[in-house]
Amino acid sequence: MNGLVESSRRSAQRSALVASRVPRGLTPTALVAVVGVVFVLIWGQQYAGSVFVLAACYAIVTAGMAVQIGFSQQIAFSQSVFMGVGAYGVAMLNTHYNMPVLIATPIVLVGSALLAILLGSVVTRASGLALAVATLMLPLIAVGYVSGTGFLGGAVGAPLPGTLWPSSSASTSVALVGGGLIVIALLALAVFIAARILTSDIGLELFVLGVDERTAAALGVRTPRRKLELFTLGCVFAALGGAMYAGTQQFVPETLVDPTAELALLIMLFIGGRRSVIGAVVGALVIQYLQGASNWVSVNILVVEGLLLTVVLLVDPEGLAGIVTTGIAWLRPRLGAAPAEPTEAAEVAEVAEPAVLAEPGVLAEPAEPADEGRLGARDPQTALLEIRSVFKEYGGLSVLEDVTLTLPERGLFALCGPNGAGKSTLLNVIGGSVPPSRGQVILSGADITRRPPHERFHLGVSRTFQSVHLIKGRTVLDNVAVACLASHKASITTRIARSRLDQARAQASRALADLGMEHLAGREVSSLTLEAQRMVELARALAPNPRLLLLDEPASGLSQEQRQRLAVVLAALARRTCVFLVEHDLTLVAQVSERIFVLSAGRVVFDGGPDDFRSSPVVNSLLVGS
Amino acid sequence: MMKFGNLLIAGITTGAIYAMFAVCVSVWYRVSNILNLAVGDFAMVGALGVDNLYRVKGLPLPVAIVCTLLVVAAFAYVYDQIVLRIAQDGPQRMDGIVVTFFFTFALSFFIDGVAKMLFGTDVHAAPALWNGASLSLGSLHFERAGLLVLACAVIIGGAFWVYIRFTLGGKALEASGENSVGARIVGIDTRRYRRLIFVGTAVIAAVFGIVESPLTGFTYLSGATISLTGFLAAAYGGFRKPGRALLAGLFIGVLEAMLGGYVSAEYGDTVLYAILAALVLAWPRQLGFESAVSG
Repeated sequence: MNGLVESSRRSAQRSALVASRVPRGLTPTALVAVVGVVFVLIWGQQYAGSVFVLAACYAIVTAGMAVQIGFSQQIAFSQSVFMGVGAYGVAMLNTHYNMPVLIATPIVLVGSALLAILLGSVVTRASGLALAVATLMLPLIAVGYVSGTGFLGGAVGAPLPGTLWPSSSASTSVALVGGGLIVIALLALAVFIAARILTSDIGLELFVLGVDERTAAALGVRTPRRKLELFTLGCVFAALGGAMYAGTQQFVPETLVDPTAELALLIMLFIGGRRSVIGAVVGALVIQYLQGASNWVSVNILVVEGLLLTVVLLVDPEGLAGIVTTGIAWLRPRLGAAPAEPTEAAEVAEVAEPAVLAEPGVLAEPAEPADEGRLGARDPQTALLEIRSVFKEYGGLSVLEDVTLTLPERGLFALCGPNGAGKSTLLNVIGGSVPPSRGQVILSGADITRRPPHERFHLGVSRTFQSVHLIKGRTVLDNVAVACLASHKASITTRIARSRLDQARAQASRALADLGMEHLAGREVSSLTLEAQRMVELARALAPNPRLLLLDEPASGLSQEQRQRLAVVLAALARRTCVFLVEHDLTLVAQVSERIFVLSAGRVVFDGGPDDFRSSPVVNSLLVGS
Repeated sequence: MMKFGNLLIAGITTGAIYAMFAVCVSVWYRVSNILNLAVGDFAMVGALGVDNLYRVKGLPLPVAIVCTLLVVAAFAYVYDQIVLRIAQDGPQRMDGIVVTFFFTFALSFFIDGVAKMLFGTDVHAAPALWNGASLSLGSLHFERAGLLVLACAVIIGGAFWVYIRFTLGGKALEASGENSVGARIVGIDTRRYRRLIFVGTAVIAAVFGIVESPLTGFTYLSGATISLTGFLAAAYGGFRKPGRALLAGLFIGVLEAMLGGYVSAEYGDTVLYAILAALVLAWPRQLGFESAVSG
């Protein structure tokens, strides 16, 4: 067992070493910088070069969109508006105050960031489609404002006298090439920042946020903050792209802010590949060069874009980046150049799917001491969890009525009841995703009734869901590592400098080793059997060493044999933490629990040990049937 | 008071159009989980196609209308058979935002581009189906085309309601929307309904384009605006509820007319969009957004 833990630690260290050899985000940045500089130096004064520079302005915007819209799936239609803020801001400062573009740009960026935070703190309260619809109004409002205001040049547009290249005495060719190089440098910076964030521990948080906001919150991700940060990041990148547009084109057309511009940006992102920063850059290049390629294409750009987007998405929803990735993966073994990827190797070894639980005994060992500071004093006398006369009503329907119960620091406790008795609601009330209508939830003496789910997670409340809520498209290791991230208090910008993803993965692989599942670490979760998926959920719930583990029907869908293995794991867990289990399998419940609560129509109708449980007439009539 | 009355009439007329597009969007979303962002583009094709066949090619008006509707229906059918079939019925069924938004979004671009090739960039309209000056009742004025729009909305809306409420097909439709896997298990061919409703709503949209275009005139880009309003009204109806989408469409139409008449003709739309954004942010759950997201 120790050997296995050791080997998983070594592999984590090895991946950390590999990561330190090529700094995160350097490959795409270097690619963009080298290609861009070569292009601008050779063709900077010609048409091909000017198209490249224009595309680079758009690529700064789409790089931000890849983080916000593609990767984190926060669809906000704010890019064209903030491109307008950046472009008009620079144009106004340049025209009216004679300020050089390079000095106006940072001022405009700070202004955009403040505006984005202000606007974002309102709109990011919405999720999913509500966010999309609320922000869809932004370009509509903006274009109405711009065409109605003479100050910004209205429908005619706003020209600006200054160039991006600071020296006004420079020749046209120097100004063109110099300006182009500045744009490429800023694009490389944008790509670097975006790529560093996506490959960090916060990148993993963002991925989960994109897949399912509720799961993210239950795993401790501060979703409101992350959403605001993403919105701001998208807006600032857009403003920078807009400022560069104004500086290089020396003209700001009204069409920059209208909804069509927003749609054009989305097309660039989705053709290039929504989750890939480099894909987003390529998408901007493809669209701009298509428009410049021939007169016919430029006149009929709508047909070309429509067809291209349809075909690319049909071939691969991840766009050109996805097609290239698939292509490389297909070519690699055929060329025999590089060794097969480790995930593939694991897959081959895993066809037989050995018992998930190699050796659960290790669970009996005391866990690492939990972070004492976060929990306050740990007095064995105080109860861990107290539910004090909790009520929950939906409309006029009463789901929980005066539920009161207390759980100690350690042990295994079960909650049973017929369908619709309110079991999952009670679990949700404890986990924080459902607020009670009345009553209190107390954790170690502190009232947490009004605390959001992610705060409860950091106080030591961890849970699984009735249906499996794993993050598809990620490995088992990453799915568990999500629960071990120490990034919940950190801001997204700190991850440009340093990622703590490797630490989280190391902790995750220890949790997997605890359950004897380390051999599954490299597998993509949707390729696993249901039992293995449930065990991954369990590992994820255990990994942060919770004080209270809420399990919603962990045995559903498992065979008798699998249930017995689960029972062994649960019994081991109960020795180090408090496990609260909702379960329909009465045999399993009576076998493992030291105390059982039965809920019926929202009320606790039975509370006692397994022996009373077996003989109780109430339980028999409710759960077994007469 | 008369101003209010006339604004209300104008508002209800445009509202009826929004409402019908919203119904088209939400009925198809129920079946397919795809938002049809190209619905307005079918309306544009209807209006400009009839205009082109009648005015430029010189076909008789009824023939022009029938030909246009046939072309729209055939195109919608072919699109479903090729693109949606690969996207949704293939071995790797796509889901998420790519399918929900981006295929019809690309379709909208494609249709607009083709319309630009065929019909040019000028403003045109299908010929008025009911000629004459606007009808007056006291000092209230009714545009004849507006009355036709209302009549179409009542007839088509009523037919939809009867179909969904009282026929087996309507029940099956409802079932496909509630739970498409479950519907398939009990023998409902959800793909057939996806195709049927897609072609049907495309034709309905084209009809509305033909009837409405004498009022406003269309260019090849008009479709996007119509789709947007239909999408918004459907959004305020929670996307899956045609009845609420209809009310939301009427509400947006009347609000737009009132804001244009009483607040500012120039900034009326800006204020309208600001109000609509505020509504989403204030009551996302009550307006049905949350359920649309998770469902």
